Amino acid sequence: MSTTAAGPATPPGPPAGSRLGRVAWHWRNNPKRELWFAWYTTVIFYNIFFIVFFPVTHAQPPPHPYWSDAQVAYWFNHNHDGLLIGLAIIFAIAGMTVAQNALIAYSMRRMSVSRAFGYSYIVMYSLSAVPGLLLLCVVLSVGAMRPGRDPAQVHWLYDFAFLSYIGTMGIFLLGSLVWMLAILLDKNRVLPKWFGYLNLCNALTEVVVAPAWIFHQGVLDWNGLISWWVNMVVFGVYTGAFIMLLRTMIQREDFGDGPLPDLRKDDRAKASALAGTPR
Amino acid sequence: MTDIAQAGPQPGAAGRPPGESAERPARAVPGQPDMWVLVLFEALVFTAYLAVYLFHRSAHSELFLRSQADLSPWLGTLDTLLLLTSSLFMLRCVQASRAGAFRAAMSQAFITALLGTAFLASKITEWALLVHGGHGFTSNEFFTYYFFLTGIHLLHLLIGFITIGVIICQLRRRERRSQEIVETCATYWHTVDLLWVLIFSLLYVVR
Repeated sequence: MSTTAAGPATPPGPPAGSRLGRVAWHWRNNPKRELWFAWYTTVIFYNIFFIVFFPVTHAQPPPHPYWSDAQVAYWFNHNHDGLLIGLAIIFAIAGMTVAQNALIAYSMRRMSVSRAFGYSYIVMYSLSAVPGLLLLCVVLSVGAMRPGRDPAQVHWLYDFAFLSYIGTMGIFLLGSLVWMLAILLDKNRVLPKWFGYLNLCNALTEVVVAPAWIFHQGVLDWNGLISWWVNMVVFGVYTGAFIMLLRTMIQREDFGDGPLPDLRKDDRAKASALAGTPR
Repeated sequence: MTDIAQAGPQPGAAGRPPGESAERPARAVPGQPDMWVLVLFEALVFTAYLAVYLFHRSAHSELFLRSQADLSPWLGTLDTLLLLTSSLFMLRCVQASRAGAFRAAMSQAFITALLGTAFLASKITEWALLVHGGHGFTSNEFFTYYFFLTGIHLLHLLIGFITIGVIICQLRRRERRSQEIVETCATYWHTVDLLWVLIFSLLYVVR
């Protein structure tokens, strides 16, 4: 991820022929290969994350917080295989979040703002991954591992896991605000200002999760209509937006330190061809 | 409020950063068009919150009506008047800034902030009275919605104070003055007002 003005010289173009040959050419010669690697890693991570947490483990949407010991024990037993297999996959791919955080931090480093923005974002998100992702997975795995465990203990693990998960929303709030500030202050036009404002919307919905610590049922509990469902729609739009915007950022990247050039139609086609991505 | 009409653009008053055009396209939206994404998105999110509220209200209409009677319509009306008036002063601030009357614009911005502070004080007073009367966040479903909706709106208002601060900074320093940023921040303040009108209508007025 050099930031030299000219950037490494690129050979004329990928060879015509097999897709594998073109991928190999890009791997050796494309100056944006690290950026594309991080971007594809992000896309792959979110796809696996969605499949594991929704249909495989059924940990999302979260089950009800007001369930009794017996209901919680039944949930763990019913999803025993899905929880253990799915969470094992998450442990295997959890490191992919690093590439995503790095790419987002790179977007901030490319902006005309202090490097503190990007670095603070990396620190915050690296720390929040421990309780928000890894601890959740460890505790749910412990709950699923031995089906004969005392239901009261299993219920304790259940509360611990989901409270650990929603407890990191404050970090996401701060992270969104850091990214928002960087985008609004930036003069290099790395990301559009509307996405800066969308960060504010996302940050505000993270606040809405806080009442889940008070309510065990209703629209504000941890799987409530407002605190989970509405928020998840906002988060889905936000995540889709930033993945597409980071893709455009990579296409526009010129490895300089001034404003990012706009993509013209032919540039876009060229960038897509260079990246090996569909237009 | 005296010198807006007469002032006219001051020489070099623009103080616009390079690249910011003095000529406004005839059909341009005020401020950065990007801010309207936030306006639209926040309007959609609040529509979702209010739709959920209305859905539960229809299921427990008796409880909601009984609880609604404990709200003070006078305080709600006062809140609305305070915010609508603050929006009016924000509008005059933008007009004054467009006309190059920056000192007058700054006064309007301070009055807007003052009215916003009065709204904040009124809202906290209302909350204190309700809690004193035994109505808390967890008392019943209506008051959960009431404290949630007014609380999340108050958070928007607090961010609005930051935007007024940005406006005042823009108006104060010639070299950093940008009409576009002034109008962008003003748009946010009007959004806070719009959201309150929606909340007021549904929580206080609709029976």
